[in-house]
Amino acid sequence: MMKRDVHITARDLLNAMQFREGDLGRIGILSGQPQRIEMCLEILGNPIKNFSAFGYTLWTGEYKGKRITVGNGGMYAPDAALVTEIVCEGGVDVLIRLGSCGALRTYIDIDYVVIAEAALRGDGVTNYYVNDGFVPRAERELIEASSSIFDGKNVHYGTVWTTDALLRETKEIINRVIKEGAIGVDMVTSPFLTIANLYKRRALAILVVSDNLITGEMGFFDIRFFDAEREMVDKAFKLIEAIDA
Amino acid sequence: MKVLFLQPPLGGWVTWGRHIAINVNHAQLAANLREWYPEIEIKVLDCRALDMDERKMIDAINEINPDLIYMGDALQTTGVAAIAPRYKRAASLIKQQNKDVKICVGGFYYGANAPQILKETKEFDFIIYGETEVTLPELAKELSKKDPDIPSVKGLSYWDRGEVKVTAYRPLFKNLDDLPLPAYDLFPMEKYIGFGRIRNYVETYHSRGCPNGCRFCVGWTNYDPRGNSDWTHYRIRSAKRVVDELELLERKFGAKFVVMMDEDFNVYRPRIEGLIEEALKRGLNVKYFFMGRAPYFLRDKDLLKELRKAGLIQCLFGLEAVDEETLKKIKKRITVDEVEETVIRCRENKIGTVITWMVGFPDDDERAIKDRFERLDQIDPDIAALQMMTPLPGIPMTPEVEPYIEERDLSKWDFQHPVVRTKYLTREDLGRLAAWANREFYSKPGRIQRILYSKNIHLFCRLAARSYVETVDAHARAATKGEVFV
Ligand code: SF4
Repeated sequence: MMKRDVHITARDLLNAMQFREGDLGRIGILSGQPQRIEMCLEILGNPIKNFSAFGYTLWTGEYKGKRITVGNGGMYAPDAALVTEIVCEGGVDVLIRLGSCGALRTYIDIDYVVIAEAALRGDGVTNYYVNDGFVPRAERELIEASSSIFDGKNVHYGTVWTTDALLRETKEIINRVIKEGAIGVDMVTSPFLTIANLYKRRALAILVVSDNLITGEMGFFDIRFFDAEREMVDKAFKLIEAIDA
Repeated sequence: MKVLFLQPPLGGWVTWGRHIAINVNHAQLAANLREWYPEIEIKVLDCRALDMDERKMIDAINEINPDLIYMGDALQTTGVAAIAPRYKRAASLIKQQNKDVKICVGGFYYGANAPQILKETKEFDFIIYGETEVTLPELAKELSKKDPDIPSVKGLSYWDRGEVKVTAYRPLFKNLDDLPLPAYDLFPMEKYIGFGRIRNYVETYHSRGCPNGCRFCVGWTNYDPRGNSDWTHYRIRSAKRVVDELELLERKFGAKFVVMMDEDFNVYRPRIEGLIEEALKRGLNVKYFFMGRAPYFLRDKDLLKELRKAGLIQCLFGLEAVDEETLKKIKKRITVDEVEETVIRCRENKIGTVITWMVGFPDDDERAIKDRFERLDQIDPDIAALQMMTPLPGIPMTPEVEPYIEERDLSKWDFQHPVVRTKYLTREDLGRLAAWANREFYSKPGRIQRILYSKNIHLFCRLAARSYVETVDAHARAATKGEVFV
């Protein structure tokens, strides 16, 4: 029978990577898409690679006097949970996710931005961390700080539903989560916020809209989506500049 | 005698967005006419630039009341042969209004096929057989006489009592430096726009022909087949004269981006050296693009840094295929490694890269096309311009591709629609694979961000790339559903 409480912990992984306290910045940007990380690295001064584990790589550099860690934080709930836990354990205090989502309102168009105030847990991972009633939430101060940078009619704040099954976004399920208040759907935000909440870290998920489940419009390859992605990265750094961290 | 250079309403390549360029052929011919026969009155009507529909075009022509109307182009980039139905329709509308006005066409596509096309197009009175530079001015001069002697004008196809006749072969114009600079002052220069966004945009044409003579190249169609492979007789404007033109465009017309449409600009190293020297000496700010062959770019790789300083921000070279057998069959005379290294050297020097590549050779199957794409993807230029085999009459390869032609509607003969099948693929398969490849290329994470946002390439390169990214869906509609854009 197994003797340890947990087979591998985030601390075990950090140790295996020769991690030293202080290697990571106090602020972390995570994104599943490598190109967003590349864009972050272009902005970051003197980035140094911290380590790669299971294909997830973290770099730490400087921006306007603040040390920032950026990394590909997973595309789906299980790997997002893994990376989020590693950075929390590694001492990152403020976590910003730069992701994408599908819109659950007709008025939220491709290239708009959804900022997740809370997550509706449709993923399987968070059940291993918290009880049924747990609602993962973004930090209020970060939401407020973001509102002066991500402003205008193209930005919407609300609840994001996280699913594990991209190809099972059925009418029944989607209409149910809309009734429960979700304005967007993604595959990461729930574990990202849940784990940040458990570690008592400050966290915010910023999501560019790639498609709309109500109108059926797909914008994954739309230039508006690419441009919005670029703008999200630039604005994330403005947010970092504005916050006290 | 009043000659009207008419660009009728016309679209453009779907991948280039709302691209409205000066007609370089018209600008040159207008200059020649003005210099050689100053007594002839010249008018220009560029309906595309002035956003005029057919009705407005006819009204404007009625007002101008010309004796001779010329339509034609030197460049494939206006829309390959898809321009032909547009010119025919314009001619037909004009003739309905005024039977007496003479209409002449020439240049790309017409040059090699004048008598055949004239037979099928009663709306035209003349088609220039071969190079247009001297023939059109001479025709105008002849028509201004009381009893024009049309057979005396060399390089012409014309009607004679219901029969199509051709005049004697016209030898090529020898020294391009003896031509006046194009008559830009007659054209609405402020209206031209590149790739939907670039203002102060001008296209130019400083050389003629290409010594390489690839067997698939549509450049052949500018030339009279009675000549001695005239397409391969490469002639240039000297570097000094090229820079004179750039200087004129910058200082007088405010040009910021000049796309040199010479099919093969970099054949001679001294011309490139001269271009650098002159452009730097005159302190020009205008940025430019030219097309050439990868082996020449590599020959001149030590010049790339200076070229960038002298204004070159983007260049184009052909890959077309990646397997030796196909490259040999089409007589491309490059290696894939040369193309790859050219991209690397250009990128080191912050020069944007465009690669042309092709699908639709008779032996193409799905694997061949996918392998070709895979290699192109690895080479990773900033822009990949896919051209579907378009076997225009007059091209050396056409006879062997002829049995595979399945689409005869010329409005689709623009490189963006499949007009042939191959031994192994239907026309629909070919269109689907073209759309697939374009989508793959312009949705690759990392590449998208580089070509749209990286400051390592000039803004104009990024704007051109933006046009390709934006038009992926429209390109797919052309390739798979037959939607017409030219
Ligand atoms: S090198 Fe280019 S321009 Fe010259 S013949 Fe070949 S395809 Fe045509």
